[in-house]
Amino acid sequence: MIRIFVLGLVVFFYTPLLSQEITLDQTASLEQAYIDSVKSENLLPMNDLNIESGYVLYQSEISTESESAELELENVRDYAAVYVDGKLKGTLTDNQKKIGLETVPGKHQLQLYVENIGRITYGPEILDNSKGLFGSVTLNGEEIRNWTITPINVRNCPVKNLTFSPDTNSQVPCFYKGTFNLSSVRNTNLDISGWGMGEVWINNKYVGAYWEQEKQQSIKIQAGDLVQGNNEIVVFELKNNQKNTMKLSETPVFK
Amino acid sequence: MNHTIKRYLKSFFIILLFIQINPLKAQTIEVDLSGTWGFQTDLMDFRRGSLSPRYNHLLQGKIELPGITDDYQIGYKSPYRYIDRLTRKYEYMGPAWYQRDIEIPASWKGKRIFMYFERTHWLSSIYVDTKEVSKIDYISVPHNHDLTDFVKPGKSHRITVCIDNRFQYNTHKWNHAHTEFTQINWNGILGKMKLIAVDPVYIDDIQVYPNIADKSVKVRLQINNDTKKAINGGAVFKISGTNYSLSKEVQVVCKDSVTFIESIIQLGKNIKLWDEFNPNLYTISCQLKTSDDKVNYQHEKSATFGMREVKQGKNHVLINNRPVHLRGNVENAVFPKTGHAPVDDASWERIMLLMKEYGMNHLRFHSWCPPEAAFRMADKHGIYFEVEMPMWGKDAEPDEARYNFFRREIKAILKEYGNHPSFVLYCNGNEITGNFDFIEELTAEGRKLDPRHLYSGSTARTRVKSDQYYVSQQTNKGPVKVYEGLPETDWDRNTESDVDVPVISHESGQRCIYPNFEEIKKYANSPVEARNFEVFKEMLEKNGMGDQAHDFFRASGALTVLEYKAVIEALLRSSKSAGFQLLSINDFPGQGYAPVGILDPFWDSKGLVTPEKFREFCAPRVALLRYDKSAYFNDETFKGKAEVYNFSNSEIKNAKLKWWLTDDAGKVLKKGNLKTQTIANDNVSPIGEFSIALNGITVAQKLAVHLSVNDQVKNSWNIWVYPKNKSLMQSTDQVLYTTVYDDAAQKQLAAGKTVVLCPMPNNVKGRKSIFHNHFWNPIMFAWPPMTIGCLIHQEEPVFKDFTTSYHTDWQWWDILNNAKVIEMQDTPGQLRPFIQVIDSYDNNQKLGIGFEAKVKGGKLLVLAVDTQKDMDKRPATQQLLRSIDNYVKSDKFAPKVAVEESFIQSFLIK
Repeated sequence: MIRIFVLGLVVFFYTPLLSQEITLDQTASLEQAYIDSVKSENLLPMNDLNIESGYVLYQSEISTESESAELELENVRDYAAVYVDGKLKGTLTDNQKKIGLETVPGKHQLQLYVENIGRITYGPEILDNSKGLFGSVTLNGEEIRNWTITPINVRNCPVKNLTFSPDTNSQVPCFYKGTFNLSSVRNTNLDISGWGMGEVWINNKYVGAYWEQEKQQSIKIQAGDLVQGNNEIVVFELKNNQKNTMKLSETPVFK
Repeated sequence: MNHTIKRYLKSFFIILLFIQINPLKAQTIEVDLSGTWGFQTDLMDFRRGSLSPRYNHLLQGKIELPGITDDYQIGYKSPYRYIDRLTRKYEYMGPAWYQRDIEIPASWKGKRIFMYFERTHWLSSIYVDTKEVSKIDYISVPHNHDLTDFVKPGKSHRITVCIDNRFQYNTHKWNHAHTEFTQINWNGILGKMKLIAVDPVYIDDIQVYPNIADKSVKVRLQINNDTKKAINGGAVFKISGTNYSLSKEVQVVCKDSVTFIESIIQLGKNIKLWDEFNPNLYTISCQLKTSDDKVNYQHEKSATFGMREVKQGKNHVLINNRPVHLRGNVENAVFPKTGHAPVDDASWERIMLLMKEYGMNHLRFHSWCPPEAAFRMADKHGIYFEVEMPMWGKDAEPDEARYNFFRREIKAILKEYGNHPSFVLYCNGNEITGNFDFIEELTAEGRKLDPRHLYSGSTARTRVKSDQYYVSQQTNKGPVKVYEGLPETDWDRNTESDVDVPVISHESGQRCIYPNFEEIKKYANSPVEARNFEVFKEMLEKNGMGDQAHDFFRASGALTVLEYKAVIEALLRSSKSAGFQLLSINDFPGQGYAPVGILDPFWDSKGLVTPEKFREFCAPRVALLRYDKSAYFNDETFKGKAEVYNFSNSEIKNAKLKWWLTDDAGKVLKKGNLKTQTIANDNVSPIGEFSIALNGITVAQKLAVHLSVNDQVKNSWNIWVYPKNKSLMQSTDQVLYTTVYDDAAQKQLAAGKTVVLCPMPNNVKGRKSIFHNHFWNPIMFAWPPMTIGCLIHQEEPVFKDFTTSYHTDWQWWDILNNAKVIEMQDTPGQLRPFIQVIDSYDNNQKLGIGFEAKVKGGKLLVLAVDTQKDMDKRPATQQLLRSIDNYVKSDKFAPKVAVEESFIQSFLIK
């Protein structure tokens, strides 16, 4: 009896400290955030699209003759999630500009979702501050041409206008939505461990960005951005790791 | 005869370099080693492996130490004119040899004997006679060579020192401990250089850890005992300061070669805290008296400390549990006068006083750690330091030798400078990439070793777990950088700064000014010269604008000043920001040469803004105003939301708050008060709102809104008020307004009449027009449009009804953001556009947005500004058009310079 009571006390006092899990069980298509597309025979850097920073989708049709093909880019500024027919094949950076694509021979849609992290501030490339994708792009040595290039309005997206539907199996970059209930409101940290790269809104207010490559795996959430009761979270995910839960954590999360 | 002189000279030479030390009775003896040393260059890096050391050869040259090779024109006489930096007159990188014969007194028997160099670059090694006996490669701290086992008291030794300023590890070449971009990678020995003899039981280290709640210090001694015997005795601590003195004795027993002794000393109620406002300092000395029953040993060591604690607050750095807001400057070892960072108190005191004069309380030493004198003077004047290792960029990529260097260096910095109260923040280095597990290791190690500072892994890159603060352009909540202002002020960086650690805005400002060629002559006695300025100047002269150099400097400089006011105020409005680090109050003479300072590289004022004016927007107390825009129609109302930034050491009781509006002559047009109130410190407080109806302002003019707190804290902001200008751009028989250069325009000109051509910007070939002057510098960041502000020819009659200075101010915002910059280099030299855009100084083309000329016998005025879009929201553009209209319809309009019609056609897209 005494033992149960003590245990009960411990549970009572520690409940708020335990991580609260949030399920994001609705998705909204990224097309809703597309800005006018540009067609171009060759890749165009973001600078030529008048984009200072943010996300751009580069799409083209590719033909493969064997089951594996090597995609190689001349410039990746700074991060690209590679999808073929809506399935994630991997990511590219300026240090890793080649990737093997396993596909059945035939025609496929190649989609490169690119994020510009920042500008080069030192080193030999300093004079070249083009962003996005530019220069040559080849598949097994053959130049890929005829691109549809689509800037995506993510950071300033009015997320409350997005149309969501119940879906937890999305494999492409998209917006996720979930709700979570809070019995009391205080500063907390959103643990994004397991997610790829993206941005987060809580109750329609932008709260921050994340990337799995960072050591910090949490975003601080101010008490003022939360409400007692039901809260809504929207997440934009670029490299869809097909995760659909996040957690609230008392302390910042580092890996 | 000749032979005799030679012999005489030879013996003179030897005597000169020979030190005979007076055998003193004291327990600790220090012998100054400054003076003439033997010297030899070794550009081929062969002496170390040659037979010369083995034969104990006398070096054949001479040099005065402390000093650097540049002081004696040693090295490669550079014939070049480097464009991206100041040019070093005599370059030297390699081993260089320094030599002296020293007699070690017989009385030093049994003592520990050290050779100490306060600062050198980078590897120093010592040969005693023919053998290399000691090597040290710290960058940030003194080199203290232990020669005890290699010299014999009573004997004379030939001491040969090799200083090797080559990169000893594969580290980033831009770090400010070495870089040719700022302080040069010098070879030499600086500061104190001495031979020290101490008893074999001595204090190797004294560290003082203040506890302000307890009013005590914990003192930690490291006692080295080289007697190989157990010793005991006592240590007497004496703490002294202004009207303060206290002593305490502790027992000392040392059985091992190294003993740590910790003692907590209660300091009593009279002890005073240290901070920026009251930099109270104390000296602690420790006299160690020990004995091994037969022999007595004695040693004394002292340290300066202040009673201050630093903690990580929610959004701020806490000093003695109070939040401070850091108003800082990025210090990059910019010392072209000497070619090295000073090691003397006077030079550093000047810099600390300049910080105070310009309202700042903080210096970030970017990728370097300054010498002791900098800490001493910051302790004295209350400046908070962030110091770093010489680490940058890819330095965290795996390389064990390099990693081990950094592992040693961080410990050395903490040990050497850890007692200084000014040493508040430590960061490993700048914008680091690579293995962040290594960065976390260093950061965690620092926190464990010395809790007297806050730690951060890297500026502006990946966060690590042990971070206690973060200097960055952005957090995961968005940008916290502020590089430029806006014509409105109702914004801040609060949301983006509010993360799990205090956030300091990284390298704020960076607005480029046209070089002041008058500075060329200041380098006459320096190891470096502004040969890049000569290149820029010659190019400007060749392009026919040599006479405008000073005007370009003044106009772009004025723009930088108003940008810095806006940048700093934005960061002061950000109460959740821990502060900012301006890049920088002084020019940065490398990385392409960035004249972004209001001080030149010698830390002398460029005359662009007085310290008093600067303190209106950068000081512990600043009056702030949030408003929506800078340019108004006279049927509008100015609305201001007033705030007071108060990070002084006290609240402002019963503050009387006044606002008033003045015209350009200083006459007060309107005034009012806000509610008298007490304004808390450690915060930014809203203090009230006010409105000013502008309907009495019938003539276009510049006004100033002023705000004061108790008549002491004052600040002001320029606004412009314009009447609504209706029926603009009305053509008459004499004057044709057009957006296209068509037949009608050509006929009008051919008839000797006037054409005002306002082509749509997208129909003009040329560069993008922007309000801001170039970021950092155009050589490093070749980002279009590569312009650095505008020179406005305000004396021209075209501006008679448009109030403007010789430089652009915020009223120009809508004009410049809707314009196109025309390339005008091919026009006659006498033609000067009345809105003249200043090209980057490595290009120096003539550029303009507005000009007038004689074309085809008629009079043409061109204004490459969009005169169609949203004109009802652009009062300044309207007023400029009104002024132009009055001008072109008056007899004052008589262009003097003729240009070919082909030029007009050349910049228009058909």
